[in-house]
Amino acid sequence: MSTPKSKPKGTGTPTAPGTGTDTATVMGAFDPLRDQLTQAAREFGGDVVSGVLTGLVDDVDRALREELEIFPVCHHSPASALAMVRRLREKQPKVIYLELCEDLQPLLTELRNCRLPVAVQAFATEIDGFPASWAPLSVVAPITEASAEYQAISYALETPGVELVLVDRSTDHVFQWAPKEEPAKKEHAEEPGLHGDAVGVEIGDLRPRFAELEEHLLHHGKVRHWSEWWDQYVEQPLAGADYDTYRQVMVLIGSLFRHLDRDADRLAVDEDRERYMWTRMREHLSASGADPADCLYVCGAFHAASRVEQFGLASTATYEISPRTGTKWLYGLIPSSHSAIEAQFGLASGSVSIAAASWAKSLTRGRLTPFRLTGQKGAPAGRKGGAPGKKGGAAGRKGGEPAGSVPPDDELVGPDLRRDAPRGEVTDRLSGFLSKPPALDEMDEAELLGWSVDIVRLARRNGYLASTADAIAVFETSILLAGMRNRARPTPYDFQDAAVTCIEKDSVPGRRDVRRLCEILLGGDRVGEVGYDALPPLARDVYDRLEPLGLDLEKRTIQRALLDLNADPHLAPCSDLLWMLRYLLPSDAVRPIMGERRLGERSIQESWDVAFGKHQRSIIELGYEGVTIEQVLEQRLRRAAWDPKATAAVALAAVEDAVLFLGSWRFADELGQRAVELLASERSVDDAPEVLRRIRRLMAYYRAHEPELPAWCEEFATSGYAQYCTLLPTAFVADDAGVRQVAAMLGFLFSMESLAISLGCDRAQLELAVQQSHPEAPSKVALLWAARSHLGLLSRAELRERCDELLANPLVVPSFPLYIIGFVQAMEPVPALTGFVVEVISKAFGRLPDRVLLPWLPKLITVLRDQAGELVPVLVREAGRTFPGTLDAVDAWVPPWSARPAPAASAPAAVAASGPVAELLLGHPASCDAVAGLLGCEGSWQAPSPGGSLHREAAALLTAHPDPALAVAALLT
Amino acid sequence: MSDDMLRAPAEVKYAEELDYLESIDDSPKPFSWRLSPRMIRLFVLGSERSDGLDREIPQKWFGDRSFVERSIVTLASDRGLLLIGDPGTGKSWLAELLSAAICRNSTLVVQGTAGTTEDHIKYSWNVSMVIAKGQSRESMIPSPIMTAMETGVIGRFEELTRSTSDVQDALISILSEKYVSIPELDDDNIVFAQPGFSIIATANSRDRGVNDLSSALKRRFNFVRIPVVTNKKSEAEIVRFRTEELLRRHQIELDVPPTLLDILLQSFADLRSAAASATSDDEKLESALSTAEQIGVLEDAILHSNFFGDRTLRAQTLASSLVGSLARRSPEDLAILNKYWHGVVEPRSKKDGGEWPEFLEGGRSAIATLS
Repeated sequence: MSTPKSKPKGTGTPTAPGTGTDTATVMGAFDPLRDQLTQAAREFGGDVVSGVLTGLVDDVDRALREELEIFPVCHHSPASALAMVRRLREKQPKVIYLELCEDLQPLLTELRNCRLPVAVQAFATEIDGFPASWAPLSVVAPITEASAEYQAISYALETPGVELVLVDRSTDHVFQWAPKEEPAKKEHAEEPGLHGDAVGVEIGDLRPRFAELEEHLLHHGKVRHWSEWWDQYVEQPLAGADYDTYRQVMVLIGSLFRHLDRDADRLAVDEDRERYMWTRMREHLSASGADPADCLYVCGAFHAASRVEQFGLASTATYEISPRTGTKWLYGLIPSSHSAIEAQFGLASGSVSIAAASWAKSLTRGRLTPFRLTGQKGAPAGRKGGAPGKKGGAAGRKGGEPAGSVPPDDELVGPDLRRDAPRGEVTDRLSGFLSKPPALDEMDEAELLGWSVDIVRLARRNGYLASTADAIAVFETSILLAGMRNRARPTPYDFQDAAVTCIEKDSVPGRRDVRRLCEILLGGDRVGEVGYDALPPLARDVYDRLEPLGLDLEKRTIQRALLDLNADPHLAPCSDLLWMLRYLLPSDAVRPIMGERRLGERSIQESWDVAFGKHQRSIIELGYEGVTIEQVLEQRLRRAAWDPKATAAVALAAVEDAVLFLGSWRFADELGQRAVELLASERSVDDAPEVLRRIRRLMAYYRAHEPELPAWCEEFATSGYAQYCTLLPTAFVADDAGVRQVAAMLGFLFSMESLAISLGCDRAQLELAVQQSHPEAPSKVALLWAARSHLGLLSRAELRERCDELLANPLVVPSFPLYIIGFVQAMEPVPALTGFVVEVISKAFGRLPDRVLLPWLPKLITVLRDQAGELVPVLVREAGRTFPGTLDAVDAWVPPWSARPAPAASAPAAVAASGPVAELLLGHPASCDAVAGLLGCEGSWQAPSPGGSLHREAAALLTAHPDPALAVAALLT
Repeated sequence: MSDDMLRAPAEVKYAEELDYLESIDDSPKPFSWRLSPRMIRLFVLGSERSDGLDREIPQKWFGDRSFVERSIVTLASDRGLLLIGDPGTGKSWLAELLSAAICRNSTLVVQGTAGTTEDHIKYSWNVSMVIAKGQSRESMIPSPIMTAMETGVIGRFEELTRSTSDVQDALISILSEKYVSIPELDDDNIVFAQPGFSIIATANSRDRGVNDLSSALKRRFNFVRIPVVTNKKSEAEIVRFRTEELLRRHQIELDVPPTLLDILLQSFADLRSAAASATSDDEKLESALSTAEQIGVLEDAILHSNFFGDRTLRAQTLASSLVGSLARRSPEDLAILNKYWHGVVEPRSKKDGGEWPEFLEGGRSAIATLS
């Protein structure tokens, strides 16, 4: 890929902001802290430590002094969301810059039609400028309700006059800046979940990128995982903090992780993103003329501590944004879930749910009204069970004001605090924060009590012998555990430990253990849903067309659809659509329970298991490929047939699918023509059995349903005839062409022969090809003999003689079984040989020595099963005809090939036909003589034997059983 | 005092540490506990620099911190603590440490066996004194549990699931009513538990189904499951810690080469993974392959080298000690060890060299002797 990577262009800006003179001039607020940290660094470490520690303070100082107000956030952090709600109400900005891929902007308004969490997705299959192996490209940005970005989006979209500007690099740049050597979708391949294998982007990714640092924090924080550490040391102390403290702490953390980042490549990408964002913001400000005081820049805390030269509105450093590649991006919303988010971003299981629960609680406690998009589905957070969800929203709108733009909460802010509250002189809130242990919330006894009671109830429902005493014990243990871990209030994690201690005994009675039950209790997994209006046209079309089935397709359960196509013929289009979806979607999205669709067959009744709710993402992603299902299917079939690796068998399969699902003759003809091309250019015969099976089926179908064969079929027969004739001699000797493949070629040649010859092919070509074939492998030799016998080049007697010779020759006997395998395969092209195959196998069983026969028998069975499954019934039927049916008869039985009647020269005379036909021909011999003369046959007329020869068989039957005839005669007379 | 004992209980052995911790402990303590819960955790899991103590407190029990926290918190509530896990996972050691830290007395122990009776849990009588003076408090012999109740300390019940159900159920009233009545006496016939009394029981998860606990008793215990240590680093720590203690106890001066310790840990890890993939009991060793057994193997090898060898621990001795300790059933265990020796140790000795070839030889001859 040759897209030039964007490079910053320094334009002589004196220094990187914050590192030099600018902070020196504005020193003041953070001086004592800086001094203290420098002092500490001097005591414990060297210059590096000192640089890091003072750098942290510098970063905070710089971010807070920036003219454009920077709002640092962390993803899925209720504290960020709360601070955002408060700040938006205070400041009421006119422009919000958001760290999210700029090309996703048009989608955001569709969020109102969805139930969160959903993910905004950019998707590309037609890629240009990236390695082909990366396709399809997919980027998702999940959005949950308890997030600062959702609050900002809702505020901006619901408040008139507010502009929301996404400023981060486009999804195209996400891949442009990705390392080229590794596939872009490596990380989450094993965790497909709801997001598939998309690359996740999120606003405010904030986590140590230095494994030792994280380990250290977890160890000393005495917590198990990162989410718990974050909750205890940042989330809770900041939940009720004032805005200054919030900002300073967040920037400090971002700066710390930035200083200790060892992943240079990733940092370089992040810096490019920062340059990108600042460039975009400056462009927007100059174009729109907005007052920076009315703007708010929402970005991850990591980026708030940026040290790139483009940082700040005052900077004049330019940055050239590289153009996007020619990749065609498509956009949509797909459902997401808490567990999918946790899996994609490596969060602890249950942490997003816990964040959602604590967001809801903080809202209630702080009596805050969150911003919310009009028409948003799902109960609003903070009103759990109370339910003024949609109703509340509607009531709000009735008042003439959008649901989100509620006037500022009076208790939070007075009018004088508006606008420039944080922009005055910066005061140091960090020193206080850093010098104290985290100030945690007061104990919320009622909440803990509720949890304790609920977990016991839930445990009992899951088979535990839990009682009220356990609820008391869980409550008490939670408090004790929290106390031991230096927490005034038990966190959900303490509660979980306490519940496990008190309720879990020596075994788990049901499917879920107590730990899992706690996760369910604290919110469980919430799965989002994309509403009908936000679906792409294709998905909407599918939902509309399946409406006659009367199913609620938005449900996440599996639903059963019953289609009686005789009674309700109007359901036939639904059936067609379901079959197409069956072809296109994952196998468990639409599953037929009864009914099937094959060439020439239609079901009278069908029943289907439909799980659209669960597979909504797949349907939405189909929408990126076309506007209707038919179009997508056509494209898929076309792509399959025109794939560089496609073979004739693949093209024939596509023809079959086109006939089955689309019923389009034109398209089937086009694909058929492609199959002809592919067959003519093939040099391998590996697919011959598949080709034969498919073309036979298609021809049978066309003969039964159409007045004549389509032109491509005829062409396929002739070009196949010529092609296989050409390849036959090579295939007979080549090691890589198996017996089955050669048999299938012969099958094609013999069964298409009449059609091909009628279309102008020459049989001599086939005869020559057979004569040119000189196989060495015994099985192929047998196959060749069979072919020669079919062509009349070898009589049955000669064939029998050759086989007998083989059996009589002790040197060849060990390889005789291979000949048999060849003969068995020959039943496909030469069905008339079946009787002879039975004969050969019978002789082999009778005459082969045990040491050859017994080891070979299992092989015969496996070969028959794997390669000639469809031939076994034919063989068995023939054997049944040949061998006696009862045990007694076996003793007296003489095999038909042994009891061959001696050829009698006079026999033809004895069997001269008699009857009206013979009489007619005898009476008018001229025409027969003329035909015989033309064909070059010689012979003479024989007179039918007089008398008894007339209907000899009938006469014999009547003589043996005269009663019915006599009875009929009696009736008639 | 600890010098006169073969094995001093934890409160004696770590008396100095406990005294120190008690002297600096200013956090609130539940009941009559000698230390606060946080100090107990510190005593068991050892101190770090960030704890800001004047002296270092070594780690004594190796395992997840949350197990210790949950155990301490359970003892501070009114439920008993039941430590459950495979043999050799350190349940009893944790129970001893907790008792020592909480009440400086870890010796009030009842050992659960098939022959344990209710008398062992409640009280019995000094028969001659009863004949001489009649039944009185004086002629009564209180059980360790009753003593613990009277003095408000922790009582221990080892191998709870080895004792029969009726004996187990005698604990129900002790744990819920917190008193024992003595119907034989006319007055002063109830012994009430003092604040601070609780019970730490241990149970072997391999004994499940022998004498299952009744639901009523389960309800009165909080279960803390102690898993087998599979982390190689912490396992090495445990083995080293315990072996040093043993060497001190036996007054043996002998070095355990780190390479041999690695061989021992590696062998156990291999045998454990083989046992995990076995489909029937015949395909796995009878031994639970716990850390305690590793210590046993090492101790055996050390003693053997000290008394019958040249006072140097050799791979050969270690191998024969390992075979001797693990081969309990003949021919099943021997066959498994033979397979292990030839399928894993032999290739490894060729590949890695070092002490492995000697280990291979030692094992081979030990298996040959036993076969």
